[in-house]
This record gives sequence, structure tokens and C-alpha cells, in this order.
Amino acid sequence: MAANLFDRPAVLDAAFTARLAKGDMPDVSGSNIPAVTLADIFDTQLMNRHLDLMARRTKGQTFYSIGSSGHEGLAALAYASRPDDMAFLHYRDAAFCIQRRKIVDGSTPLYDMVLSFAASSEDPVSGGRHKVLGGADIYVPPQTSTIASHLPKAVGAAHSLCLGGGDLPSDSVVLCSFGDASSNHSTAQGAINAAAWASYQGSPMPLVFICEDNDIGISVRTPKGWIAANYKNRPGLKYISCDGTDIEDAMRGAQQAIEFARKRRRPVFLHFKTVRLMGHAGADIEAKYTRQSEIEAREAQDPLLKTAAHLMARQIRSADDITRAYNDMRARVDRIAAQVFTRPKLSSAAEVMAPIAGGVRHKPLETPSREALAKIGCERDGRPIALNKMLNKTLAETLLTYETAFVFGEDVARKGGVYGVTLDLLKSFGAKRVQDTLLDEQTILGMAIGAAHNGFLPIPEIQFLAYLHNAEDQIRGEAATLSFFSKGQFTNPMVIRIAGLGYQRGFGGHFHNDNSVTVLRDIPGLILACPSNGNDARRMLRECVRLAYEERRVVVFLEPIALYGTADIHSGDKAWMSEYLPPQDDSLINYGEVFQHGEGTELCILTYGNGYYLSRKAEDALGGIKLRIIDMRWLAPLPMEAILKAARPCKNILIVDECRKSGSLSEELMAQLLEAGIKAPVARVTGHDSFIPLGNAAYEVMPSVDDIVAAAKGMTS
Amino acid sequence: MSQTSTQKKTAVVICPGRGTYNAEELGYLVRHHSDKASFIDMIDRVRKEAGQEAISSLDGADKYSSASHGSGENASLLIYACAMADFFSINRERYDIVAVTGNSMGWYLSLTAGGALSLEDGARLVNGMGQIVTKHGVGGQIVYPSVDDDWRPSEKRKKHIQDALSMVGDVTISTSIHLGGLHVFAGGDRGIKHLMSQLPKDGVFPLRLRGHSAFHSSKLDHIVPLAKTAFSPDMFGRPDLPLIDGQGNIWPHFSTDTDALYDYTLGRQINGAYDFTRAVQVAAKEFAPDVFIVLGPGSTMGAPTAQSLIELDWHGLTSKTDFLERQHNDPIIISMGRADQRALATK
Repeated sequence: MAANLFDRPAVLDAAFTARLAKGDMPDVSGSNIPAVTLADIFDTQLMNRHLDLMARRTKGQTFYSIGSSGHEGLAALAYASRPDDMAFLHYRDAAFCIQRRKIVDGSTPLYDMVLSFAASSEDPVSGGRHKVLGGADIYVPPQTSTIASHLPKAVGAAHSLCLGGGDLPSDSVVLCSFGDASSNHSTAQGAINAAAWASYQGSPMPLVFICEDNDIGISVRTPKGWIAANYKNRPGLKYISCDGTDIEDAMRGAQQAIEFARKRRRPVFLHFKTVRLMGHAGADIEAKYTRQSEIEAREAQDPLLKTAAHLMARQIRSADDITRAYNDMRARVDRIAAQVFTRPKLSSAAEVMAPIAGGVRHKPLETPSREALAKIGCERDGRPIALNKMLNKTLAETLLTYETAFVFGEDVARKGGVYGVTLDLLKSFGAKRVQDTLLDEQTILGMAIGAAHNGFLPIPEIQFLAYLHNAEDQIRGEAATLSFFSKGQFTNPMVIRIAGLGYQRGFGGHFHNDNSVTVLRDIPGLILACPSNGNDARRMLRECVRLAYEERRVVVFLEPIALYGTADIHSGDKAWMSEYLPPQDDSLINYGEVFQHGEGTELCILTYGNGYYLSRKAEDALGGIKLRIIDMRWLAPLPMEAILKAARPCKNILIVDECRKSGSLSEELMAQLLEAGIKAPVARVTGHDSFIPLGNAAYEVMPSVDDIVAAAKGMTS
Repeated sequence: MSQTSTQKKTAVVICPGRGTYNAEELGYLVRHHSDKASFIDMIDRVRKEAGQEAISSLDGADKYSSASHGSGENASLLIYACAMADFFSINRERYDIVAVTGNSMGWYLSLTAGGALSLEDGARLVNGMGQIVTKHGVGGQIVYPSVDDDWRPSEKRKKHIQDALSMVGDVTISTSIHLGGLHVFAGGDRGIKHLMSQLPKDGVFPLRLRGHSAFHSSKLDHIVPLAKTAFSPDMFGRPDLPLIDGQGNIWPHFSTDTDALYDYTLGRQINGAYDFTRAVQVAAKEFAPDVFIVLGPGSTMGAPTAQSLIELDWHGLTSKTDFLERQHNDPIIISMGRADQRALATK
């Protein structure tokens, strides 16, 4: 019986064997691929196809039905690359993963893939958290990107190959695939630009971008010739094209691209023509927006038919052999699926969340000797220094302690940072450890993620907090999710330094005086630290680096710009400066430890950053009130145990939060205090729901010493 | 026990290794395979050409002699003959065989059952390898359990195994075979002696396998060139059925590289550890058969097969108790060497 015309999977399935039976095969030109390789690739392509067809027949038992059919030529990339060439893959690249996994002893690519389709907790890649392609055994970090947000990290990984000392072989290349539609995304554009920018000035970038061009993104056509026109003549970028539906040409293109990137250490744009079969996903009815004749024309380009035609033309396999293999594979996949559907699923929040906080711990490293530290200026000299100088010394100490650490960002190397935090680090540690980047925060964060995949400990700098916002998905969608979607098999530890918050004099404006960290507070697993002074910053930065290195965490270290050079609480007292202490002489600040100033119980001020500084300034004016001021230090996750311990004995609680009233952590604190059964009155002094203007007007919308004094007195009078 | 369903089932066939033809198996060919005279004649011809006693006469002997029937030179082809004959006896109208695997020497049998070797080449390979190892083999094998009496993982026993493997000094011990709930060690003569004295006594274990060399270990590195000289890659063809080897790798009908198959068979298979457990688990996961048919002679491969499946929690099997209950109701493993199960597999 003829398949329903709207049931394209069934039509496609039936057409394959029908065309073989009729001898109605596509024309293919001569093939040079060794016979055994061609047969092996066809076997992979069959696996890919029948996995997709099975998924379409089992809705409700399999999920996320975006398939790889029509993109089976990606097997050529797996064949042409080395098994340790790290690959950041498009979601249509099952064939790549199957092909690469075949060389892993005892691997079970079909069973594992179906576990992933069925979101079983036994899925070895993500443990049932998503249908992701990948695995540590095949050097494919699990990927769910639908908007090409994985391109910046591919650039980062490729860049890191040339730094020396990474986990990946230095002569490897990085592969990164994506669709023609998502190539238009600004993230993709930024990453491709960054790779070309590096290559243009002679910096190594062994990276193959693979644009899988199937002409369409869900229902929107890619303009004819757009991809070629866009990338053919880009400076610093080699363009190679191939017909990915014909395995012979796919292999040629793959081999040329990988060889070029490996030998020349330059980026390649491999324009890989494919077709999309069976629509965008299971729920997508292609006939709604595409003429029947066009759908049929796409199906006629079926890569499986073309590979079969090569096999037959060269008399490697007969039509009967191919038909048998096709039918056997369908039955095999169906049997496997029936078994897999009985396997367990994640069944509790605790199970789901288990891998959020990092992966396998690394052992602590030894502290460098006093002598080694002294050589880079990290020694006791009795001189009090401000926050920026303290951070400078602590970064130097970090670079000495952790050989895999490197510092990078806009203007951090030659200039030493806008505020001198990275001053002279380039001189002490050289250009591989301290790097200026191009002006693109997505690339900076992507570089951190990619380098961390290669065993480095990245310490990127975001020059101003407001600049984070155009790139925050690199943290939210990529860095923070990696251990979650890989069951902790992959981690990308890093400490992202961000200069931020308000109160900066003279430069002002919302781009340089941003007081919103809300975007960093709801990302599962992310740790957000904010020191208010140098004495804390030194010890907190050490703890953050330890959390990243040993516990594989993604950490953001938020530095209050306005306090970088602050010396005094009250004029001339130098109370906000402190002496640098090497680790041997210093105490620790562990994650979750807050600082308590004062023992009073009449009023507890809960605050951080500039708020802590302003509260300390307000202290004299509050002389009659027995108070304690808590510097919370850790803004996400909030160290509630320590906060409650400090706040519980107090009769009044005042939250001083320099960020906006809406969405700031003052809201969370109010809720947490309430939920913890705190009976004391709670009030808050916060920023206004405003952007920060230039000049002195800025102080109209942020908490002031007077605001704190007034609120405190109001509560206690 | 009943076979109520008439629907064709899928099966993975498991080929036995050495040590499966014992006193109870004497006369196996006579009892079960008197209809396969031409096959047995071919086997006897191979033996005659090699100047060895006929397999039919060994099988038809009045008495079992471990010195004769259990020797490497004789046991190998004797087992091959019984197992291949069993393979022909499987009722193909009832079972679709979807893959073939085996343990140790059972790999050579798998190659033949799967069609990568002709019956005669398979016989020559098995017999020839038996002769080479008898002449040049060194060391031995020791078996020790890694599961408890209910076939669940035993941390205590696993620790004994780990301790044995991490022994340092002038003796070297390595893993020879992961055999379900049994761990098979390989070592030189001194190593074996040392290990026998070191492993805690536990019932019949540690059990030294009489007449076995240090199979699947670097002690047999020197066998590899001898084997490659004795056998040509030309005898290897593309299998008709998918094969699963001792690394858990699949050799498909459609796309097997026969040169690679030869290299594995007469290379890493000889001097690298053999993971039967993984082979069974890969068979389960990647072919999801309804049943596993263990070829005779003997039935000793049934337990390691079951233990490998229990480790996977396959079909909800978590212990020997579960397994026996499943076997009673709807056998998942059919051992052709067992009188009570043979009929399930044959016509």
C-alpha cells in the first residue's frame, strides 16, 4: 500500500528499497573511496537513517525529534578527522558520532543513541538530561545549541591548541558544524570573524567550520547562493565547498579542509551542501510551507541512495545486499528501541541536578615558594595597597601557581587593564599567559570555554559589567550547562573577572556604571563572588581559582570599580587598604563565609560591595545603635546559613543593596529571611529602577550614606 | 517449561571455548549429529592430513580420558565439531540469528558459524592453533569468581582479584578473560604458582585450568608471528552474520574489512585480554535478541552469559534467582548442551 503523502518518513523509507528494486538510482561519478570504507560509511548512514525513522514512529517514547537525515554525509568528517580532533557539532550530526564511536572498543552507538532519544537516565552522554550528541570517548562535548552558540568555544579551543600544555595534542584541529540558517546568528558571525581576525594577523587557528547548508531554517529559505557569497572571499578564512549528499565529494571536501587546517593552522569554512529530509522536526509538517514537488526533489537527493549507487556502480555490493542491510538495520533498531524504552528515566529533582556542580575533582596544587613568589613581586613589604593592586598581585600569584591559567580580555596585556589590575603581568608571564583579545565579549567567553575544554584554567576579563549582557548566553547557555548535559564528563572551569557596579566617578553612564547582576544570579551551578576590599579580594580570588581548578566550577568574580583605588573610609585613615600577604602567611576565606563587622544586635545590615563600604562610612553617624554589618561576599548562591546565623540574633535587619530595587538580590534576601522564620523587621535600601546617568546625577539613583543612616535610624528609633 | 509462541524469535549465538568437552560430553556427535556425516568426515580428513587421531574416534571412544580428550591438540577440534554441528541444528524457522559471538577459542568458531571462514578453513584454523599453542604455549590460566553465590557483584572477591592483578615483584599476572562472573588470569608458570598460593581459597577456587596456556596475554606474543605464518588472510571472507569479538567490537556482514578481521584474529585476540562479558553485553544492546543460544558441547557458558546480562540488568535480571525464574518461565538462554533445553533450539 502506498504511504500517506503527508507521512514523509514512511514515503522516504519505502522509496529507498523501491528505487533499489527498480534500479532507479541517482547518477554518481567515479569514486576513489576504498571499498571497505565506502561500505562502512554506508553502514553508519543506515544507522543514522533508521534511528531517525524509528524516532518518528515512536512519538511519546522518544523526544526532541530533530533528525540527521539528509546530513549523513557528516560521516565523512568523522572519517577524515583524527579521533582526538575535538568536534563541536550541529544537532544534525548523528552520523558523525556513530562513525567516530565505531572505533571505540566495545561501543554501542545504536543503543546509546536510543537511550538519548528516550531520555533514559542510563544515557551515557547526558544521563537523560537531553538528546545531545557527544561523549568524552569521542572528543565531542555534548551539544544542544540551536543558535550556533557553540561557535565561540570552538574558536577558543582551536586558539588554545597553540598555547602549549593543553590536554589535546597540539597538532590536532577543531571541528565545528552548524546549519546555514544559524550561520546568520550574531554569535556565529562573531566567532567566524574572530577566527578570521586571528588568522589574518598570523595567529594560529586550526579550525574547520562546517556549514551544513540544507537551504532552509525551519520554514525560512536561505537566499540562493547566500552562504557561498558570504564566505568565499573572507580575509583570513579558506573557503572549500563540497556536495555533502554525495559521499565521494563529501570525503574530498572533508579531507581537503582538515588537511589545510592541520598543516596551515588556519581556519577553513567548509561549505557542506546537504538536504533536510522529513522536515525540521517530528512536529513540523513541511507541506504547509513547501510544494510537494520541492519536497520530492529534496528526497531525490537522499545521500543514502547516492552512497548505494556508488557501491553498486563499483560492484562493491549488489542491490540485494544493500536491501538486506537496509531492512536488517530497520529491524535491529526497532528491537533495540523496544528494549531501551523499558530503561529507567530520571525521577527526582536531586537526580536531575546531580551534575550541576562540576565534575571529577582535581587535586590541589602546591603553593609556590616564598622565593618564587617574591621574584614576581608577591611578598610582604608592610605597605598597604588598594583593591586593584591587590588583585594584580593575586593574579600574578595565580599565574605562578597554576601553569594552565591564563589571563585575557580587552586591553589586559599591553595596557595592563583599564584600571591597572593586570599591569605588568604580560612582562612577567609572556604573551601566551596574558593576552589581548578583540573587542567581542562572546569571543572572550567562548575562548574561556574552549580553552577549558583543552585543560586550561581561563581567567577572562569582561572590561565592564554592562558588556557582559551582549554575551551572557556564553555563560548561561554554554559554560554553565556543560557539566549538566555531560553528566560531569566535561567541565569548563574558569574564573570570569568582571569590573562592575556603580559609583565610578567621572566616567559614568550606564555602560560604565552598571548596577545589575541579576543575569548572573539564577544560573544553576554558577558561583558569583564580590569582594568589597583588597584584604578580602586576595583571599576570595584564591578561593575562586581553587573552586574552578579543583571543583571544576564556573565562577564569576565581580570587582567593584569604584573601590579599586579606594584608600580610606574617612579621609586619610587608609582603612580600606591592606598589605599583600603571601599564601604562607594568610588565612583562608572559603566559599560561603561572610564577614561580620561589629557584634551589636540592635541592627544587622546585610550588604556587599559598595554597599558594605557605604555602610561602614555610615557607622559613625549611627554611633548610638549597637549594630553589626555583614559583608555577604558571595552573591550566588547566597550563603544563607552564614547570613541567617549573623542575622538571627538581631532586632532589626536592613538590607543595603546597591543594585536596582527590582530583581536585585535584596528581593531574594527578603524572601529567604521570611522563609527562615526571621521575625525581626526587615527593610531595604536599594538602587532605583533606573539606568545610571552621567555625573553627579548618578548618585540620585543609588543608595547613599545618608539613605543608610536614615533607614537605620528609622528602624531603630 | 513450554514454548507457546510460534512467532519467530531473534537469537544471538554463543560459541563455547576450551574446556567444554568433558566426560559427560563423550559421544556428543554420535548422540546428536549422526545426520552430519559429511561434515564429520571433513573434520576427520583435516585431522588425518595433520597426522592426528580422528575426531569421530575420539568422540566415539569407550571412555573419556582427560589426557587425551582434554589436551589442546584434541579438545579444540572436538569442541569445534560439536559446536558447529549444533549450529547447523538450530531451527532457523523458529530463530533468526542476528549475531554470533563466543568465548576465547569460541571466536574461531564464531568466525565459522558467522560465515567469515569456510567450515574447512575454520577447522584448519582451530586445529592448527591448537597445535601451535600445544607446541609453543607457555604459562597457564587460573579462574576466580567475581560475583557472589547469587551472581551479584562481590566487592570482596573483586578486591581479591584487584589485589592479585596489582601484585608486584618478579611475577606478572594479567587478565586473560572477563568471563561473566568469573575472572580468568593468565601468567607464566611462576606467576600461576604464586597466584595459586596468594588467592584466598574459596570453594574450588582458585582453579587452575589444566592444559591451558596463558591465553590472551602478552605471554603469547611469540604465537602471533607463528599464527600469521601458518594462516593466510585469503581464507577470511566477509561474514554472513554480524560477529562480536573479544573486545566487544562488531564485524558487520555489510562492511567488514577482512584484512582487519585477520589481523585481529591472529593478533590482538591472541595476546590481548578477551572480554567475553562485554561481547555478550554488546550483543544484547546492539542486537537486542529475544534469546541467546549457547552451542554445545557442555553448558558451562550459560552461567557467564547470564552473569553478563545480570550486570546489565537486562530484562530486569538482577540475580541468579531472577535468572532461574526467567529460565523456568521463558528461557532467555538456551544451552544446546543441556538435554532439557536442546529441544527448544532444534527442530
